[in-house]
Amino acid sequence: MDTDADPLRPFLEPHPEGLYSPVFEAHVDPGQAVARAILTHAHADHAAAGHGEIWATAPTLDLYRLRHPEFSGSAREIAYEEAIPGLGAVMTLHPAGHVLGSCQVRFESADASLLFTGDFKRQPCRTAKAATAPASRVLLTETTFGLPVFRFPERSRVEAILISACRDAFDEEETPVLLAAALGKSQEVALVLSEAGIPTVLHGASWKLLPAYERAGFAFPLSRPYESGPVRAGEALVVPSNCARTPLVQKIRRRRVIYLSGWATRESSRTDYDADVLIPFSDHADFPGLLAHLSEVGAESVVATHGYAADFARIVASRGVPSWALADAAERTPESP
Amino acid sequence: MTGEPVSYGDLARSLATVSAQRGKLAKIETLAAALRLLSGDELAIAARLLSGSPFAEWEQAVTSVGWATLARAASAVTGWDLETIGASARAIGDLGEAVSLLLETRSGESLSIVAVDSALRRLSTMRKAAEKQTVIEDLLRRAEPVEARYLLKTLSGGLRVGADTTTVEEAIAAAFDVDREAVARARRDSGDIGETALAAREGRLAEIRFRLFHPIGFMLASPIEDPAEIEPELETYAVEDKFDGIRAHAHKSGARVALFSRTLDDVTAQFPEIASRLAQAPGEFLLDGEVVAWSGGRADSFFKLQRRLGRKAPEAELLEEIPVAFIAYDCLASDGTPLFEERWSARRAELERLAPSGGFLLSAVASAGTVAEMEELFTAARARGNEGLMFKRTDSVYQAGKRGRAWRKWKKATATLDVVVTAVEQGHGKRAGMLSDYTFAVRDGDTFLNIGKAYSGLTDEEIRKMGSRFRKITVGRYGPVRAVTAEVVLEVAFDTIQKSNRHKSGFALRFPRIARLRPDKTPADINTLDDVRELYARLTGDKTISI
Repeated sequence: MDTDADPLRPFLEPHPEGLYSPVFEAHVDPGQAVARAILTHAHADHAAAGHGEIWATAPTLDLYRLRHPEFSGSAREIAYEEAIPGLGAVMTLHPAGHVLGSCQVRFESADASLLFTGDFKRQPCRTAKAATAPASRVLLTETTFGLPVFRFPERSRVEAILISACRDAFDEEETPVLLAAALGKSQEVALVLSEAGIPTVLHGASWKLLPAYERAGFAFPLSRPYESGPVRAGEALVVPSNCARTPLVQKIRRRRVIYLSGWATRESSRTDYDADVLIPFSDHADFPGLLAHLSEVGAESVVATHGYAADFARIVASRGVPSWALADAAERTPESP
Repeated sequence: MTGEPVSYGDLARSLATVSAQRGKLAKIETLAAALRLLSGDELAIAARLLSGSPFAEWEQAVTSVGWATLARAASAVTGWDLETIGASARAIGDLGEAVSLLLETRSGESLSIVAVDSALRRLSTMRKAAEKQTVIEDLLRRAEPVEARYLLKTLSGGLRVGADTTTVEEAIAAAFDVDREAVARARRDSGDIGETALAAREGRLAEIRFRLFHPIGFMLASPIEDPAEIEPELETYAVEDKFDGIRAHAHKSGARVALFSRTLDDVTAQFPEIASRLAQAPGEFLLDGEVVAWSGGRADSFFKLQRRLGRKAPEAELLEEIPVAFIAYDCLASDGTPLFEERWSARRAELERLAPSGGFLLSAVASAGTVAEMEELFTAARARGNEGLMFKRTDSVYQAGKRGRAWRKWKKATATLDVVVTAVEQGHGKRAGMLSDYTFAVRDGDTFLNIGKAYSGLTDEEIRKMGSRFRKITVGRYGPVRAVTAEVVLEVAFDTIQKSNRHKSGFALRFPRIARLRPDKTPADINTLDDVRELYARLTGDKTISI
């Protein structure tokens, strides 16, 4: 990227440890411990341990503390849309629709504005406030699924597919094993299934985060924590995808493994996760969602980060919107679904 | 059956179902259900397409469409630029799947399996990529997404649904309630899964007879890891040298001769001296054996033979410089009688009867009773310039196209090298979508020179872990190949070293395989080009390389 034309200026600079806001003397989602971090959400690849000070929404702070009980720094709670003034710029956080507490970060000065999406999706879900698209001149967007092959069905359809996959498994006396990220997707799945009357057994990594969800007003009457031993008939087991090949899952002889992720678009995830059913249940925007967000934000230029950033930037540029891929400095692999 | 032509979509949906099924039996039942609905030409075509190719094996035809042509056709039909097509195929791990996700709706008339068959057959007769592209574009325009997925998989050489030809044979047996072995035999003898399906439906399997000059599958051997495992039953095995050449079937009737390679390609024209010697023999027969470079009364190195490969009509000088011979070790048919179902010992007797006037060399047979005797024979085989030993059960039938334990092969890795990975690419088949093929290099001063490429010998789990590491250290992309930072050190085992201009090091490894990861070593610790030169001299006795 040509630094003279750096579209992120004056709000953000790519530093080795992540994006840096000179106005607020804070890094955004840095990959390592820093003095002050603004966190878009509490996934591990965005919320590293050991920061001196963290700024985030209340649920994100809550989740961060549950994941990092050793945290001894200070925390600043920021509400959605609350104006945080700085020298020559104002910062606001906006819902991102990704997971509980997730936000987009917007900076505005007298003659410029920038919206960083963090991780986001535009499809509705229960546990994250729906993403908004505040008008901004520059859009720094995540592009985890920034290629046109990634088109996910309507969320209501995806949920219906999930519910019927579980019922099919019960009909054949198999235990549905749902592969879903510990933070966000597993709680969302538990709520979707409980509305359908299906009880869930949650992996410890998911269960320990429930207090944050309960404080945010969600209840999980049909969920219980996993304890060693068999899951009862009629219950669905929810575990992170990295458990797919561990004894926890493999020892369940009659199982139907259901992989819930945007990556389920790839047939090869069947072998990667030893899965029977692939459902594109995503917490990230699909390609049409990325384009819709860009259009609604009305950005004049785009910087793409994460995933297929270079491809997305090329495609958007070919449609007449100046676009760049953020250099590798802040690039990290997305948290496994 | 009369009425509506059968839609390719039905077949494609069956393949999609099979791909999602875990158990072999479920896959067989799905395929059988698809086959049961068909008859006549449509049944024959469907059986071939379900096993991955529109052609019968004996037809020797291939669509031969390059990846670039497929991608250009996909670009024209989907409206996405080539770069996006390529990126999408890499992201999804398969071009067919990627295109099926990019296709909106079909615009042309729907596809019948007869239409697909004739289009694929037309491709095999075309030379120009542009012409082929037009045919593929037409197919894709008429295709539903699921049809596009399997059309492109067929054209790029693999359906990858976890069902091989044997599975389709079993599906035919299940569909028409006939004996599985009879189906396998009919396919072997007819060289056509389509004709086999039809005969199974019509109760004519027994009428299918073996025909010379239709290529058939090769019986394959499983490796012996530890000679002690075979010692208790050594007396049931005959022992032969394992030749380092090109496996071939020689079909011969009167003056007509055809040599077919492991890939069932007709390679007769590459070896005119073998063909003319066989042509002079009396009678008709089918032999299994090895084409080797031959000099001074023994097999020469594979490297020598390599210079004879791929030349349709070798020049006289080359014929003189690198003479070749056919060493026969099995006789599969003689004077009109197929011998596949005969025991090895009976087939051997027939081979020996033919040998004196057959125009071929006869592989010598020995026996061993102990591991010590195995070792002795092994050393002697190596001294004759051969790769190792073959063990063949004397009471075994010839299982065409199968890898079993009736034949065993024993080779020993001669050495290992520590190398660094310089590039990776996605594997095929079961490992499609995984970065499982590694190109590796040795060190020369502070540069790295490639010396080989190996399909990973690692477990799926290890490959997956390595894959995410390689994705992080990718420094460039060249088509399907990712160049990576030279930092991952491997130990590769191999059988021998040859001089070769395929790689920058000037050497190539024969049968390289990854022995283990060496996280304990850095690229500074790996073997050097000088080490390779020294090994080469030691292993081949070739002192012409200065060390």
